[in-house]
Amino acid sequence: MTTSPAAAPTPASSPWGSRLNAVLAGAAPSIIALLAAVLLFGLFCFSQGASPLAVFASINKAAFGSWYSWQNTLVRAAPILLAALCTALPARTGLFVIGNEGALVLGGLGAVLAGLATQTLSPVLALLLMALAGGTAGGLWIMAAGALHHYRGVNPTILTLLMNYVAIALLDHVVEGPLRDPASLNKPSSRALVDSHLLANFSGTNIHPGILIGIVCCLLAWWLFTRTPFGFASSVVGGNPRAAALSGLPVARIVLTATFLGGAAAGLAGMIEVAAVHGRANDSLHVGYGYAGFLVSFVARHHPLGLIPVSLLLGGLLASGGILQRTHHLSDATILVFQGIVFLCILFSESLRGRLPGLRGVVTKS
Amino acid sequence: MTTDSTALAPIWGVMLGIAGGVIRGSVPFLYVSLGECLTQKSGKINLGLEGVLLLGAMVACATAVATGSAWIGVIGGGLAGLSLAAIHAWLTSLPRVSDVATGIALATFGGGVAFYFGKPYIAARPPVLPSLPLGAWSDLPLVQSALRTSPLFFIGIALAFALRWFFRSTRWGLHVRAAGDQPQSARALGISLGGVRTAAILAGGFLGGVGGAHLSLYFPGNWNEGVSSGQGWMAVALVIFARWQPLGCLWAAILFGGTMAIGPSLQAAGYGGYYHLFNALPYALTIALMIATCSKNQRLAGQPGGLGKGE
Amino acid sequence: MTPTSTLTPPAVEALAITKCFGSFTAVDQVSLRVAPGTFHALLGENGAGKSTLVKCLMGYQAPDAGEVMVGTRERAINSPADAQACGLGMVYQHFTLVPAMTVAENLVMSRADLPWRINWRAEHARIEAFLQTAPFRIDPHRLASSLAAGEKQKVEILKQLYLKAKFLILDEPTSVLTPLEADEVLGLLRAEVTSGRLSVLMITHKFREVFAYCDEVTVLRRGRLAGTGRVKALSESDLARMMLGEERKQTPVVRTSIRSESMMEVRDLWAKNDLGLDAVRGLNLSVRTGEIVGIAGVSGNAQREFVETLAGQREAEKGEITVAGIRYEPTRRALRELGVHLIPEEPLKNACVPTLSVAENLALRTFDRPPQARGPWLLRHGQIAAAARELMARFNVKAASPQVPIATLSGGNVQRAVLARELGGPAPRVLILSNPCFGLDLAAVDFIHRLIIEVRNGGGAVLLLSEDLDEILKLSDRLFVMQNGRLVYETPTATANLADIGRHMAGH
Repeated sequence: MTTSPAAAPTPASSPWGSRLNAVLAGAAPSIIALLAAVLLFGLFCFSQGASPLAVFASINKAAFGSWYSWQNTLVRAAPILLAALCTALPARTGLFVIGNEGALVLGGLGAVLAGLATQTLSPVLALLLMALAGGTAGGLWIMAAGALHHYRGVNPTILTLLMNYVAIALLDHVVEGPLRDPASLNKPSSRALVDSHLLANFSGTNIHPGILIGIVCCLLAWWLFTRTPFGFASSVVGGNPRAAALSGLPVARIVLTATFLGGAAAGLAGMIEVAAVHGRANDSLHVGYGYAGFLVSFVARHHPLGLIPVSLLLGGLLASGGILQRTHHLSDATILVFQGIVFLCILFSESLRGRLPGLRGVVTKS
Repeated sequence: MTTDSTALAPIWGVMLGIAGGVIRGSVPFLYVSLGECLTQKSGKINLGLEGVLLLGAMVACATAVATGSAWIGVIGGGLAGLSLAAIHAWLTSLPRVSDVATGIALATFGGGVAFYFGKPYIAARPPVLPSLPLGAWSDLPLVQSALRTSPLFFIGIALAFALRWFFRSTRWGLHVRAAGDQPQSARALGISLGGVRTAAILAGGFLGGVGGAHLSLYFPGNWNEGVSSGQGWMAVALVIFARWQPLGCLWAAILFGGTMAIGPSLQAAGYGGYYHLFNALPYALTIALMIATCSKNQRLAGQPGGLGKGE
Repeated sequence: MTPTSTLTPPAVEALAITKCFGSFTAVDQVSLRVAPGTFHALLGENGAGKSTLVKCLMGYQAPDAGEVMVGTRERAINSPADAQACGLGMVYQHFTLVPAMTVAENLVMSRADLPWRINWRAEHARIEAFLQTAPFRIDPHRLASSLAAGEKQKVEILKQLYLKAKFLILDEPTSVLTPLEADEVLGLLRAEVTSGRLSVLMITHKFREVFAYCDEVTVLRRGRLAGTGRVKALSESDLARMMLGEERKQTPVVRTSIRSESMMEVRDLWAKNDLGLDAVRGLNLSVRTGEIVGIAGVSGNAQREFVETLAGQREAEKGEITVAGIRYEPTRRALRELGVHLIPEEPLKNACVPTLSVAENLALRTFDRPPQARGPWLLRHGQIAAAARELMARFNVKAASPQVPIATLSGGNVQRAVLARELGGPAPRVLILSNPCFGLDLAAVDFIHRLIIEVRNGGGAVLLLSEDLDEILKLSDRLFVMQNGRLVYETPTATANLADIGRHMAGH
């Protein structure tokens, strides 16, 4: 094996300098990939008869241009951010999970059940119980996949993908059957939650607390997975399970914890969608926030802090669907195309990692 | 005549529904599983067959409408699938690029492209593939309609046998198996791993696209954004069920096609209560299958040794 | 092809072959000639350039300078297919059979002139006819995965003969065979050579084989030709001198005697291998303090599975392991409290996390306790880095900094890092090692051996599994032979009889 290449000269002994270098080196390929994706998407717009610059201006306006746009973006970014944790956390132990959508949906279902059962309790208590129910539902769902992987060697990606369909079918069945609100004829829904049990927006705004909850969860996840012994242990498990076994680490416990926490975050997203946005459970719960969360996690390379800016970007992108349709006559599928391009570019950038001159800093775990 | 058909007990209605479902619904499963089987035998996983399926369906519909011929539409769908798979082949040949993630990215991208360019075709009525009336022996219209078979069903069966012969008795088939089972041995023999795997991925993509074409050009016979029931996602599970054998793919496709038809058949017969749960049956079955057949330390019998090892 | 070359093997000559990899010269102006119908040995240590030279002959690599002559003509061998066309064939250390295919499919697939459509009836007939004249016989319908190591090696040789090779290159062919199997294979090949049907060039590092089977020998040292000649005219010390440069002074092993009590006991251990078949079968073992117990054996007799079970990387089906009388489960607490340390083979794959830094890998045993952790909620990276610097200095681990990923270190330095981690803290009570010196240079090997002796002399119980019998004979106080998942023979090393060891390794 060759010895390590001379590391890029780190600013003399400054820990912040070398840490910044490391962060840049880690983020650079992703940033380049995003730029490439923007370029390719611009070409796509051009081929469809829309001016790329005008399209990006519209997206910017619809996403970040005004306070109204920001609110739109933040409301969309919140569930995506929490759902993204469902991929990011298990990824640190080496599992790639795409069950965000299913966990979110079940979280919403659990929350509605809890909410309907606690109609007489105080709002704070009811909301807490709903959060608990939603988080537990999502957590157990993904933890089951983690357990099946650990104990039976089942591929978690394919498993959670299929589980999504089962979860959605469960939601549809329950919402159209046992929990159905007889008044909801056009769009089958569960019975509505009592008004007092809804998560109110911040006063004077259209934003619900979801984004704040999401950021707090990301911060906690960051601390847990990079600054604690548990986080160190999970990076060993994710990096080389054999070394983890050799060191006597409780691999099962670590994997199950990470999958539970990830699923709980997605379940919490579902709870917030129910309590803050819809007030009931119906098929508006599965609109693709889960899959968006999966993409966000990949772009952010599964770093809990990196999820925040990427979720905002994607939230903004989703918020601009309307304007793209109205102003540029680009259908809603355009957003999907853009997401696909971003995803492919990010994957391509992985192969460039470590080969970019000048930024070849120290690459350890982020 | 009419008294005969209404005198048919509901159970027969359900059974016929399932039989019809097997014949119609198994075809996409068959093509995606054969395509994925070929890809995995060469050592690569392609999780993007859902995107291939959707794009194939859309392009097949568009091509058939444009040319007026369903068969040309099928070819078009296959080629579209092949093109999408080409992206997969290229990306996964680069270092450090995960097969699994690339597949999902491709499914997203392929689906997006299909939905975008398919907008004008949502209301279109493309020329459909001819049906072979296998139920002509019966007087009952119900039986006749259930047993209408698309020619792709028979072509698919023939393909399964052809693929088995390919793996056993052709030089390229042996090369594919070597590349998937022990890549370093294949390399030592001078086999080009990249070439073999690319060819396998492309062929797999073509077959997936044909499977998609069957959706838009036979059953349900039009293009819309819900035309797929996730057959592409299940391809990988089907291949595991089939133990990576082409004939196993045939049985798996038949089983899944039948399972998928239970929900609608029951609903048509008046038992609509558990519609959603029955629709979830194929997915649940796949999950159960994976749990039952996987084991922690052992490799599954028949699994190519180099699968998922990124060599 | 000239008529005579169809039956008699050609002379093969390499003239002034040079091959560089970047700034490293693997082979430097080496010339070698194998006369027709001779058995030629290519001798040298790890890293002497033997494999590279041979790869140039076989067309896997293009030499930077020099030529290859086959027969009387210079041949441009640019690919293995070219080599095959000239009648050259190579048998590797690592098997090239495809496990999921039968022997027949493997044979047929290796032919360059295979038609696109395979007529199996004709092919099977052809294989049958070939097997009639071949030196060994194997059932062609057997799956390659079902063959034992010795059988696989035979099939590899048969494959080359099937391809009508007249010049066979063998790369350490007996490294995975028992002494008995090795004798059988080499003896049969020798017979082919003597009858003029074959020439053989054999890479080996075993003097015994050179003297027993070879006519001529070429010795390489550090990429250069160190010597050549007829085997009959050379002695063992001649060969050693050519191979190593000078008389190697063996650092004497100083054993202090310790009051000895049983430290680790293994009772009736059973474990399965990756295919679900029994691998470790009822193994019983006792290791005492202040001793090194060696386990010798040809690889493939479940040594790997045994070590994995001890390491917690594989589940035991049955049986019990106790350390200091306490039942041992590979949990973190047990590792720490009972002082058990494991150094598995292939450290980068089995004992390290390649993407984590050297410092983090060094902290694998200690990160969850003070001073590197404060409670369950805080990890102190500064302490980890400081501890790493200290260990790296003590154990001479060379790396650009403690923060580089450990995968960027050379093999020797990775092994040193693992040793630093395992031996750098409190003295181990139990130390288990598996092939610790595989692929390392002499200085590293000496260093590691010294450390092992130190642990033993300090009262540790050491279990050493190794495929290198010399290493076992040098270090261990008593040794076992492991065969087919069991310990079949025990002897104090001082009175060990090589013939008996060999017999038990073969299963007699």
